[in-house]
Amino acid sequence: MEGKAGNYQDEIYHFKGLWDLPSICGLKVVNKENNTVVIATDLFEQNPGTSITEWNTKLAKEICDQRNIKHENLIFIEHTPEKDTKLSFNQESFFKVSFDLVNDKFDNPKWEELTKEEVDKLITE
Amino acid sequence: MKFQLIFPKWRKLEGQTTFNLPPHGAIVFAATIPDYVEVEFIDENLQEMRYDDDVDFVGISMLLTTQIKRGWAIADEYRKRGKKVIFGGIATMLHAEETMEHADSVFLGEAEGHMDKVFQDFRNGELKKFYNHMNDLPPIEIVGPARRELYNRDLYYHKGVQMMDLFHASRGCKYSCYPCAVSYLGGRQFRPRPIDKVVEDLATIDNNRLFIVDNSLAQDTQWEKDLFKAMIPFKKKWCSHTIEDKPEVLDLAAQAGAWYVYQAVFDTSNYIKERVKRYHDYGIGVEGTILLGLDNQTEDDIKRLIDFLLEIDLDLAEFTVLAPFPHTKAWTDLRKQNRIFDNNWDNYNAGQVVYHPKHMSAERLQELYQYAWDTFYKDETQEEKMFKLLKKVVSREMEDGTFRKRRQDLSKSSFGKQVNHKIV
Repeated sequence: MEGKAGNYQDEIYHFKGLWDLPSICGLKVVNKENNTVVIATDLFEQNPGTSITEWNTKLAKEICDQRNIKHENLIFIEHTPEKDTKLSFNQESFFKVSFDLVNDKFDNPKWEELTKEEVDKLITE
Repeated sequence: MKFQLIFPKWRKLEGQTTFNLPPHGAIVFAATIPDYVEVEFIDENLQEMRYDDDVDFVGISMLLTTQIKRGWAIADEYRKRGKKVIFGGIATMLHAEETMEHADSVFLGEAEGHMDKVFQDFRNGELKKFYNHMNDLPPIEIVGPARRELYNRDLYYHKGVQMMDLFHASRGCKYSCYPCAVSYLGGRQFRPRPIDKVVEDLATIDNNRLFIVDNSLAQDTQWEKDLFKAMIPFKKKWCSHTIEDKPEVLDLAAQAGAWYVYQAVFDTSNYIKERVKRYHDYGIGVEGTILLGLDNQTEDDIKRLIDFLLEIDLDLAEFTVLAPFPHTKAWTDLRKQNRIFDNNWDNYNAGQVVYHPKHMSAERLQELYQYAWDTFYKDETQEEKMFKLLKKVVSREMEDGTFRKRRQDLSKSSFGKQVNHKIV
């Protein structure tokens, strides 16, 4: 595997991306008492199709519908694992994405960067 | 049926030498059009638009993001006159949804094997709003020779010297580099053309100098070596993006006519220095391509990088600022960090800063971009350095008998326009 998804990926999730391109991402779903944390992991060169960031509105909605996650309980996190390069834009990052719900679709994504510790806290506590 | 195929013009970067090379994608696409269609090609960079020509159907081929707004404006003019317009090409694929607002039809993907259906649909009045072949790339074997006879050849001369012909030997890319959209456009698999097909295409090119436009030839060593072996008998001289720097590859590349190659210079390491030297050892020139504005670059890093370029004996250097093109990692990263401040696609020309850099202001990066050009070419201008490279290729062509004399009938024109000589 190109990236290092570590503890943030339990399965490979297949989805149809932009222009129906077959696409994949890593996925971890953590059900908690009051919310559900969904971590989608970018798989870089392994992914033949659309990136999670480009497709986040549709991807998050699709996962909510499939896994019976209530929209208002969703905490959606985009995870970009570290790649084995010295370039800073390949360092690991986590972004929490919030969406507006418009006509039963997610729209207008807004990103908020989280630290690894904040993500660990979200999924463990 | 008459089909007018347009390649829209775009605003060239200020202060740089402008060379108009014959467009490639449009004529590769033209080769896929059914035989019963009469195709006329207009390169708007050099030719006037002719909206009122008697044509049945119009195609707009878009290569660059900075070209698309002009493409849309052209389509609007044709559609006002009741003509149907279809868009295709790389920039169409990057901006498909916006382009649909200006099109009767948008073609996504590679054209080979699909144009019979598109033109049949047009004839039947059943043109689809879009043809999505992004997930249906054609077998690379069916990519045929480009239709170079569509060029108005005399326009691609500068003072009697013919510009290079563009050529491609592969599609797709196994890498997925930060600023690049090639893996989105051509698939994440390297798809080399069979060598016999490459040879067939090469044989149609009436030009002794080529620019091999492939993203990177350095993706399959055996194929790369086979390619260079097959090119040797043509005695053409060429430049290209990266090739491998293994001795056996460089030796074959030199025999095949490698003139100069592009080398990305992203740090001041010995790795880069030695690589440039290895190319030079085989008589291959090097044009450094330097991308400014990455998140790991401070002002001092950029200045150090420019000093380094002067030390490593590059033949040419080309500076760009990061342009976050759609469907690249650069675009998604900067978007989610809310750092893109300019959404005017005209400005996505890799010479204009459209986002907030991490370690400096956008204005400062713009200044450093200019500083880079000015500093590198301070003692010897870009034209002078190009002329030195040209002299090298001319001497090799003289040796192997492929040199073509400057065309006297075009010696006083540049890309179809008269040149005014200064009288001192």
